[in-house]
Amino acid sequence: MWGRLSALILKDVIQFARDKTILGVVFWLYTLEVLICGYAMTFEVKDLPIAVIDHDRSVVSRNLIDKFTLSEAFEVSGYPVNQEQAESWMRSGKVKYVMVIPNQFSEDLRRGESPGLQVLLDGTNSNAASLAKDYTTAIVRAFEAEFSQDPNQAATTVRPSVQIWYNRAQTLESFVVLSMIVAAILMVGTIHSAASITREKEVGTIDQLMVTPTHVWEIFLAKTIPTLAVGILAFFPSLFIIWWFGVPMKGSLLLFLFLMAIFLVSAIAIGVMIASITKTLQQTLLLCFFGLFPVMFLSGTMTPIDSMPAFLQPLTLISPVRYFMDICMGIFLKGVGIAELWPAALSMAGIGAVLYLIAGWRFNHNLSS
Amino acid sequence: MKLHRLFAVMRKESREIMRDKVTLSTAFLFPVMMLFMFGYAISLEVEDVRLGVLDQDQSPSSAALIDAFDETPYFKLVRRYNSELEIRDSMEISEVKLALVIPPGFNALVGRENLPQVQLLIDGTYSATALVALNYGMSIVSRFQERDNKLIKIQTRIWYNPSLQSVIYVVSGLYAVIIAAFPPLLTTLAIVREKESGSIQQIYASPLTVPEFLLGKLIPYGFISSLQLASIVALGFYWFNVPFNGSVGYLAIAGLIYVFCNVGIGLLISTVTNSQLLAVLLALVVTMMPSILFSGFVFPIYAMAEPVQLYTHIFPARYFVDVSRGIILKDAGLTEMVRPLGLLLGYTLIVFFSAVAIFKKKVA
Amino acid sequence: MSPSTESTTQTADQPGQYPDGVIITKNLSRAYGDKMVLRDVNLSIRESEIFGLLGPDGAGKTTLMQVMAAILDPTEGSCTIMDHDSVKDAYWVNSHIGYMFQGFALYDKLSIEENMKFSADIRGLSQDLFLARQERLLKMAGLYTFLSRPAGNLSGGMRKKLSLCTNLIHEPRLLLLDELSLGVDPASRKELWDMLHESRDDGVSIVVSTPYMDEAEHCDRLAFLHEGEVLAIDTPSNLHSRCTGHVYELSTDDRGAAHNALVAHKDTLSIRHLAEHVHFQLHTENYIAPELEATLKQNKGVIEAVESSLDDAYTMLSGGEKSSAYAERPPKIHLPERLPEGGLIRTEGMTIRFGDFVANDHVTLEIRPGEVFGFLGANGAGKTTFIRALCGLQSITEGNAWIGGISVRDEHRKLRNHIGYMSQRFSLYPDLTVAENLSFFGGVYGLSRSDKKKAIDWAVGVTDLGDVKNNLVADMSGALNQRLALACAIMHEPAVVFLDEPTSGVSPAARYKFWQLIQTLAEVGTTIFVTTHYMEEANYCHRLGMMHQGRLIGVGKAGQLIQELPQEYEAKNIEDMFLAYIKIEDQRIDDERVV
Repeated sequence: MWGRLSALILKDVIQFARDKTILGVVFWLYTLEVLICGYAMTFEVKDLPIAVIDHDRSVVSRNLIDKFTLSEAFEVSGYPVNQEQAESWMRSGKVKYVMVIPNQFSEDLRRGESPGLQVLLDGTNSNAASLAKDYTTAIVRAFEAEFSQDPNQAATTVRPSVQIWYNRAQTLESFVVLSMIVAAILMVGTIHSAASITREKEVGTIDQLMVTPTHVWEIFLAKTIPTLAVGILAFFPSLFIIWWFGVPMKGSLLLFLFLMAIFLVSAIAIGVMIASITKTLQQTLLLCFFGLFPVMFLSGTMTPIDSMPAFLQPLTLISPVRYFMDICMGIFLKGVGIAELWPAALSMAGIGAVLYLIAGWRFNHNLSS
Repeated sequence: MKLHRLFAVMRKESREIMRDKVTLSTAFLFPVMMLFMFGYAISLEVEDVRLGVLDQDQSPSSAALIDAFDETPYFKLVRRYNSELEIRDSMEISEVKLALVIPPGFNALVGRENLPQVQLLIDGTYSATALVALNYGMSIVSRFQERDNKLIKIQTRIWYNPSLQSVIYVVSGLYAVIIAAFPPLLTTLAIVREKESGSIQQIYASPLTVPEFLLGKLIPYGFISSLQLASIVALGFYWFNVPFNGSVGYLAIAGLIYVFCNVGIGLLISTVTNSQLLAVLLALVVTMMPSILFSGFVFPIYAMAEPVQLYTHIFPARYFVDVSRGIILKDAGLTEMVRPLGLLLGYTLIVFFSAVAIFKKKVA
Repeated sequence: MSPSTESTTQTADQPGQYPDGVIITKNLSRAYGDKMVLRDVNLSIRESEIFGLLGPDGAGKTTLMQVMAAILDPTEGSCTIMDHDSVKDAYWVNSHIGYMFQGFALYDKLSIEENMKFSADIRGLSQDLFLARQERLLKMAGLYTFLSRPAGNLSGGMRKKLSLCTNLIHEPRLLLLDELSLGVDPASRKELWDMLHESRDDGVSIVVSTPYMDEAEHCDRLAFLHEGEVLAIDTPSNLHSRCTGHVYELSTDDRGAAHNALVAHKDTLSIRHLAEHVHFQLHTENYIAPELEATLKQNKGVIEAVESSLDDAYTMLSGGEKSSAYAERPPKIHLPERLPEGGLIRTEGMTIRFGDFVANDHVTLEIRPGEVFGFLGANGAGKTTFIRALCGLQSITEGNAWIGGISVRDEHRKLRNHIGYMSQRFSLYPDLTVAENLSFFGGVYGLSRSDKKKAIDWAVGVTDLGDVKNNLVADMSGALNQRLALACAIMHEPAVVFLDEPTSGVSPAARYKFWQLIQTLAEVGTTIFVTTHYMEEANYCHRLGMMHQGRLIGVGKAGQLIQELPQEYEAKNIEDMFLAYIKIEDQRIDDERVV
């Protein structure tokens, strides 16, 4: 039996090593894609293009505009001649925000007549719009304080002091980089195992194997081990990207690798499960593609689990990604250890085991029906 | 170019599509599925964020502040602490995401010159969520017993999405992404499948010319894809309640240009690949991924680094995101959309003529 | 043998438009990368003739066809089609010929009429002309009654006929047909050829490529293609007569000794182990060297001169078979306990259904150890299902089967060490080398390290794979893959070997070697079960079974089956016999229905 198993594993290792396309895809997913997403995926409001109509044209109004220009959140990208032009810019998406400084703004301000500052916001990006609104308030209040030279003027309310734990810089990159790596592990584990089994179906070698004394579980094991090894090895180049984006590593790398292996096995189990249903490579790819969306979606990566509709929340319990995201964030950003993480690890292992059992049953069942 | 030959190809192609149940259902089901999945999955709003409170004041004011948090849909009070030490433990196991600490003497200080300080502690790990939650939290605190002796009145008006629903934002951007994802894939597979089986040789050894063959594919697939676009826009309107403020006619014109641009990209990909697997991978890398990342559909282009902003110009989805939001939400006219539409049209022509130039009626 | 050039000189009194030939190739070569696929091809195809390109897979037939259709440019030399150059005037050529690609180039979702109409429309045919021609062509093909049936629901034979009709709709002067009979049942094949003969008589020039010798007999002239080169161009009867007097058949009690004597002798050209005889070919004409004759006549040997076939001509022209010694018997290795009844196969009322479809209908059969049993049938007759059931890959709906006394239905796991299976598609790992594939299959059969080495050495020896051990399977020709697939299937010395269409498209020399090895395996008591719809392969089988629509319609030795036919049927060969049995069966079913 050991001879048979080692023959099976050796074969799959050789096949993996010779498949340049797959190795290229693995490399792409683990590094380049993470890098691209790290730079491209941002929810922050930064350099929001704004248009300013300054009817006042005074030193004061220019000071106020400077305040906006200097802030990180906004970038003044034009001064339209009139309201119509400003609105046209808004419609074409050139600017997302129009500020109108009224006539006699500075005089009214000096006289304490509370001039009105008009702000038109493009609410399309709801998140950016509400943040822009808050930033505007903050900038205008700071301007008031400076203008009246009264420190109390600025802080007229309860002032929150904020402490951000675990991701102090509050940059999105840490989160994006880690979650893209999780996505890469998931995709490599699922797609490679599914594709390599389907390819054997297409070439017909699976039938050839089935007439030998080989057991289904031996085939599964032989498909799992090389993918597992490559999936883990490919993580080391990603460590460089992790370092590049300045993601902290507070916990133990060894523990992370161990738990990652469990996650990979559960991802491979999804792939094996898919391959037990499909017949052609094309079907497999489509099913992987659309199967992985819900798995990712149910992980709480894209939408917080608490914010999901109530009927969906229990379903998140069957997505291994949900557990692994917590593990990933926990080890990297919070520095927690196995004492806190063992339930998550156990859940992933359980999901994997169930999927393998179903896939094995389907293979044996198809064979004898 | 002979019209009778072009019509023959178009007729054949449309009949094949109409009778291929798998392709047809894929063509209509997948975009709808993607609209649903992304429409629900990508939410920039947060609701019911788990909140923990350490109230060291135990006063009417502190109770009022806690209520102010709990009353909003954004937060859900799940834990009251007795000491600061408990907070860290509870955050480590992700019991709460946000903790509010109200210092002793808060009640006494509210409304005085000396400002009371409350602390907001937030788990920054899922930072997309964290950022939003934090902002809600800060607004709540800031607005708590706000005084109204402002020097400047800020009159904010929010247009196009006054209720600030993120679903409107996401879904209106998805139209561009979905059309960039599926029509090219469908078109590429339709041609590469014929290449892989070899039956395309029958086309090579016939009087059909390259433009006739490619246009004969482009038009039926363009038509199907236009229906895809129409179906998802309708779904967005009726199911996700994305308002339609602009002109249907304008959207039809802009949509047609964009659809043919993407079908053209599919044709171009099919001229350079011979295997379905490669075609799928290429279509994903060339069309789907970039249209998600670099179109501005949820990740604003203006917030990206300068070189990345330049890079986004390669992808047609980038233009259509602005065009579709402009027409659908903002009632923009064609004059305001001349530039992106012109670029898309040019793009389409370049793509189609490149495909014609590359496609050879030869097996090798 | 030097390539014949006499036939390229054209008779001057040939009537018509293209006195020098409809197609003329001059020093035509085509390379893919470093690999020469066609080398210096010179041929001229006359008006209104059926010209055959004959050669095994990989000989360059398809490439030559593609060059003639102007959809592939030659690397060197030129090809002129109806006075137009295939490169410069490619579009003209495309528009004026009919070209049928070897697969099924139909649109499955479109009906017969729509497929015809598409073909007519892209050539600008008027509606009246289209309707008239469509009626004539489809009636001839027997498809006119199914006008609105989708092409995807037609049988292989019907599809080929429809493909041919779509290519005839614009009445081209020249038809290029690549592997006309691939996937076509014998009955439809006959109808296809009738259509071709009719077209030829109307003045159409036709080029047909095929790997099958029996089909080549229908052509007016033939070109033998071998590794990209033309070996000879001539009429089939002239090619036959080239080896008249060179071909003999020997019946003997000791094939091994006779084989080795023939191999050792310098006069020997090729040796072929048929079921009953050893068929051999000599360099000498009407003369057998006395010492050879004496050796062959030992062991009750009887030699008889026989008629030659195209196989013989091809072998002779391609330089004969590089004869090797009679395949060694398998080595002694440690094997799991043998089955109680060895390689005995028995089925009783075995029935397999897929929903309403009956793939195997109460098949009862017994095959003895050491027997080479051939299973004949068209595509879809149920042959593959039968094999898959015996291999335990398909569950049996009703009845049962036993291999070596073990019930396939209940204990197929027990059988797995004792069967070898070589599927039609040569299921090998394309990204592994020859040695890696062998070592892998040795491993999964649990052979010990030393046994594995012995078994691999033997399998590599008898299949002649020694030179290519480190080649990737994906880069190898079909013929080599076929040998490797066999090596993998027999390495563990199974009691029963299942072969699914093992030698279609393989060159005669390679085919001879393959069947010789099968002979050795049968001699050591291995049961060989072969399915085929390729009648040539039937010659190598001791007994034949014929399958039609899931039912077994006749079992016995080939000669006996021919004799048992009712008098009104005349069968010269196995193909005729098979068609006759199918006709009788169809008649019987019709009669039953009437009753």
